[in-house]
Amino acid sequence: MKNGVSRTGLRITTILVSMVVGVVAIILCCCMLFFLNRYRSTMVQGALTSSSQAVSQVSSTVGNYLQGMGQAMSVVEQSMLESTDNRDRLLNAFLAFRPDVVAVTSYSPSGKLLDCWCLDHEPRELIYQNLSFDLDRARGSGSAYMTAPHVESIFEGYYPWVVTMTIPLASGNQTAWVSLDLSFSSISTHINTVSIGQRGYCFLIDKEGNIIYHPQQQLLYAGLKSEDTAALAALEDGSYVDDTVIYSVTSVAGSDWRVVGVSYVDEMVNRSFREMLRLSLVLFAALLAAAVLISALLSRLLARPLRGLAGAMERFESDADHFTYRPVGGTREIQELSSSFEHMVGRIQQLMTTVREEEVNLRKTELKALQAQINPHFLYNTLDSIAWMCEQGRNADAVKMIHALARLFRISISKGHELIPIAKEIEHAESYLQIQKYRYKNQFTYQFDVDPACLDYYCNKITLQPIIENAINHGLDLLVDEGCITVQVRQDGQDIVFTVRDNGVGMSDEMIHTVLEQGQQDRTGIGIRNVNDRLQIYFGKQYGLHITSEPDEGTCVEIRMPKIQEGDYEAK
Amino acid sequence: MKRNRGAAVCAALLCLLSGCAGSTGYAQQNTVALVVKSTETEFWLSVFAGAEAAATEYNLTLTITGPDAEEDYETQNQMVDEAVRAGAQAIVFSAIDYENNAAAIDAAAKAGVKIVAIDSNVASDAVSTYIGTDNYAAGQMAAQAALDRVGGMLRVGIVNYDINSANGQEREQGARDLLEASGRAEIVSVINTLSEAGYSKVDTATLLREHPEINVLIAFNEPTSVGASRAVEQMGLEDGVFLVGFDSNVATVDALQEGSVDALIVQNPYAMGYLGVESAYRLLSGQSGDVERIVDTSTQTVDRENLFEVDSQKVLFAFDSR
Repeated sequence: MKNGVSRTGLRITTILVSMVVGVVAIILCCCMLFFLNRYRSTMVQGALTSSSQAVSQVSSTVGNYLQGMGQAMSVVEQSMLESTDNRDRLLNAFLAFRPDVVAVTSYSPSGKLLDCWCLDHEPRELIYQNLSFDLDRARGSGSAYMTAPHVESIFEGYYPWVVTMTIPLASGNQTAWVSLDLSFSSISTHINTVSIGQRGYCFLIDKEGNIIYHPQQQLLYAGLKSEDTAALAALEDGSYVDDTVIYSVTSVAGSDWRVVGVSYVDEMVNRSFREMLRLSLVLFAALLAAAVLISALLSRLLARPLRGLAGAMERFESDADHFTYRPVGGTREIQELSSSFEHMVGRIQQLMTTVREEEVNLRKTELKALQAQINPHFLYNTLDSIAWMCEQGRNADAVKMIHALARLFRISISKGHELIPIAKEIEHAESYLQIQKYRYKNQFTYQFDVDPACLDYYCNKITLQPIIENAINHGLDLLVDEGCITVQVRQDGQDIVFTVRDNGVGMSDEMIHTVLEQGQQDRTGIGIRNVNDRLQIYFGKQYGLHITSEPDEGTCVEIRMPKIQEGDYEAK
Repeated sequence: MKRNRGAAVCAALLCLLSGCAGSTGYAQQNTVALVVKSTETEFWLSVFAGAEAAATEYNLTLTITGPDAEEDYETQNQMVDEAVRAGAQAIVFSAIDYENNAAAIDAAAKAGVKIVAIDSNVASDAVSTYIGTDNYAAGQMAAQAALDRVGGMLRVGIVNYDINSANGQEREQGARDLLEASGRAEIVSVINTLSEAGYSKVDTATLLREHPEINVLIAFNEPTSVGASRAVEQMGLEDGVFLVGFDSNVATVDALQEGSVDALIVQNPYAMGYLGVESAYRLLSGQSGDVERIVDTSTQTVDRENLFEVDSQKVLFAFDSR
């Protein structure tokens, strides 16, 4: 029955673990997504800030440079008003004081180089092209102007990068313009060393987007690198994030130059983001592992006693008689269940005992009632026979009959015991056969074949007699030839087997069935069924009667019971 | 059994944890050795500037070595060996001798060092990428500069350096092919002088004296250009000889303004240094797919007309106040 039910439900362990782990995983995922998202945006914000800070520093450095240039120019302008000697002295002192000023040049109204002040170098005699002065631009501008960085081209073997500022002097003077060439190397060095992140850099553009200075000028020039200067020129000051690049643009105060900072999202944000992602994943795995562990522990706490309980129930189901309950520990609920089950087991076992006892009592009562019925009937006939023997003067036979009768009654009462030694039972059967043999005028013979070792074991009383009675009534009564009844007792392992065999007319299968199932309603006396019932109540279903019969050949009734020592079942 | 499965899951998670933890370390700084032909000329100083910029950008340790003489391939081979011994993971190399440097480079490559060639290639299969001028095209540019600016018959003297240098020979071949194809040029003489201004000046002067008919001189690297320009200036042949030089140098730029040099073929040494180190970084960081076999750095012709144009200034004059 137990195996017939297929179990489709999930184990509580599986449900618990998967539920806890699932919930934890979902919560963790949400937290992680939220956290990483916030982290990334913070990182991007930080990268933008550091980028714009670096750029504004460069911008202020460049601004200071240009401002310093204006101040230097005003010194030069002042000195121009002095006499020639004074002017040379002043300017030479100024050049010594300001090593970043490469040269000061003055020009006539027609753009001719009039004079040049420079500490270590003299201008060429034949200047191929003077990049420090542009007559057209000087005339067009009318006020002070500043050039983009260029190479100082008036000296021999000396080509520093400079920015030139040119101012017109008051008209009427012989000198119309003065140019100041300020070394650009301080700025280029500064810009070269600026780094935003590891690979980020700055460069200068003018407001049209022409590159004024770029640390990797040569790469740009060779076409191995490019900057989208047109787009950058169109941008307002501020920071911009692209997929891969962060641009920061700041104007330089007091000029149309702009500083552009370039840094890489990958190294500024993604690298630490990936690091954080990896860390969070580690954390995620750790928490998930903890969840699995805790839920497994929890479910074991719950499921193990439950499974113990279920196992106990299964065992109880399969063998209620010999089940002894051991309480299952666990949570309070489990303990309550366990103690309830314990109560139930006790109660059921108690009820089962009661039912069996009642059954035994019922059969005993029935036996007694039947005995009460049979005895007088059998007694009359026997007494009739004895009387008849006496009349005929067969005193010896009469005495034998009386003795047999007395034995029969003594043994069938047996002081009220249900179990009697097998020797007694044999004696009882023999007495009965003796009496019946007289009554049936020796129409049949009988013989006993008893294993002497069996004699001391016990058996239910009045077990053989009903079988023999049945053999005589149904098998031999109608037989024309002389009948023969054989009673055999032998051991079969732990069992004792009684066999009652006759050579009578035999029984059909229906008759066997009727005899075993319904008893003998048509007759008084203890039926075969009663024998079978008693054996099975006492010893279990595997014991009892087994009838085989062959029409016109005879019937064989086999009675099987366990070996019982004295006192084994007396309590029942 | 249940318990075993739980234990297995735990073990797996622990493995995952430790695996993650193990991979969190930062990459160590790689070492790149730059071994070049010379540490003196402006060409190489510009290479170093580019290399240093890239080393800073990619967080690399950079060592720079080069022999005193630009013909000394043996010292160069020793320098390669030393770099390998010192633990360089990549060598950016410019070969003095196309053939004789090959063994040292092969040995270095066998030791697991990545090889990047710049400026001058070497006869080794271990070279992952070559970054430099297309020398044949540069030679043609030199010849073209002369053909464009000199009318009539060109009688050409070639001042080349070490005959074992692949670069010099390729440039010469380029110039030779174009000159011959033009039909109005004749190569009068070729000299191979030492790559040093003093020697090449003497040799050029000798050449000019022996072949006074020469009206075009082509010098194929920086020291020979300087030497040739001095010889021309000394002999007062500024107007009679059209000199095409190579690379930018204060002396040649001066000479260009004064007339002894008439055109310069300017390479891009900064790009060579920068891209060489960058390629080394890419090779070391496993991005070999991004490294091309040959990278051509640009070459430009500068003459008196465009000498002070903005682009030319940026090509000719380094920003660093060296």
